[in-house]
Amino acid sequence: MTTALENAENHIRRGRIIALIGLLGFAGVYLMAWRFTPVERFQGLAQKIFYIHPPAAYASEMAFVFAGVASLLYLLLKDERFDTFAEASAEVGLAFALVLLTTGPIWAKPIWGAWWTWDARLTFSLIEFLLFCSYFALRSAVRDPAERARYAAVVAIMGMLLVPFIHITVYLFNTTHPQPVVVKTDKPSLPWEMLRTFLTSFGVFTVMYLGFVMTRYGIGARRVAEELSDAG
Amino acid sequence: MPDNGSYAIAAYIVAATIVIGYAISLVRRSKR
Repeated sequence: MTTALENAENHIRRGRIIALIGLLGFAGVYLMAWRFTPVERFQGLAQKIFYIHPPAAYASEMAFVFAGVASLLYLLLKDERFDTFAEASAEVGLAFALVLLTTGPIWAKPIWGAWWTWDARLTFSLIEFLLFCSYFALRSAVRDPAERARYAAVVAIMGMLLVPFIHITVYLFNTTHPQPVVVKTDKPSLPWEMLRTFLTSFGVFTVMYLGFVMTRYGIGARRVAEELSDAG
Repeated sequence: MPDNGSYAIAAYIVAATIVIGYAISLVRRSKR
C-alpha cells in the first residue's frame, strides 16, 4: 500500500514529465507561428499574438472552472484532496491569466491604438484575475485548514460562475474585443495554415495545464501529508 | 502591411517568461 507521501511524490514526478512535454510543445508553437504560418495582410505581425492570447484565455478559464468544481465537491464531500486540487488549479489559472492580460494589451496597442479600454470582456477578465488573487490572499489569512478550505471554496465557486459570463460578454455588450473566429456555430473563418497553428496551441496549453496542475497538486498534497504526520 | 513586428516579439517574450518562470517556480518548490 502506498502512503499519501509516496502518492504526492508520484504526482510531482509525473507532472514534471508532462509539463516538460508541454513546454517543448510551446516551443513548437513558437516555431510554427513564426516559421510556418503566413503573415496576416491587415494586422501584420501583431496578428501572431493571436496564437498565444486566446489559448491562454482558454487555459486560464478551464483552470478556474476546475478550481470551482473541485471547491464545490469539497463543500459536498469534505475531502481535503479536492481543496488541494482547487488550490493547484487556481494557481495555474493565475499564471495563464497573467499571459492573457499581458499579451492582450501588447496586441491592442498597435491594432486599437490603446493598451487598454474598459471594455466588458477586458474588464471582466481583469475582475476574474483579481478575484483569484483574492482567493490566495484569503487562503494565506486563515490559519485553520478546514475553515480556510471552506472560505476559499466559496470564492473559487464565484470565480467559476464568472467564466461563462466572460465568454458571452462579446455577444451581450457592444464591445471592441473581436468576436470568436474559430469557436462559433458556423465554420472557422481562418485559412488552414493559421488554424493549424491555433489549434496546436490550444492542445499545447492543455498539456501544460495538466503538467503544471499535477505537479502543483503533488506539492500541495505532500505539504498536507507532512503536516498530518507532524501532528500525528 | 503595418510594421508592428516588435509588438509581436515583445508579446512572445513576455508569454515565454511567464510560462517558463512559473515552471521553474514549480520545480524549485517540488524539490526537497
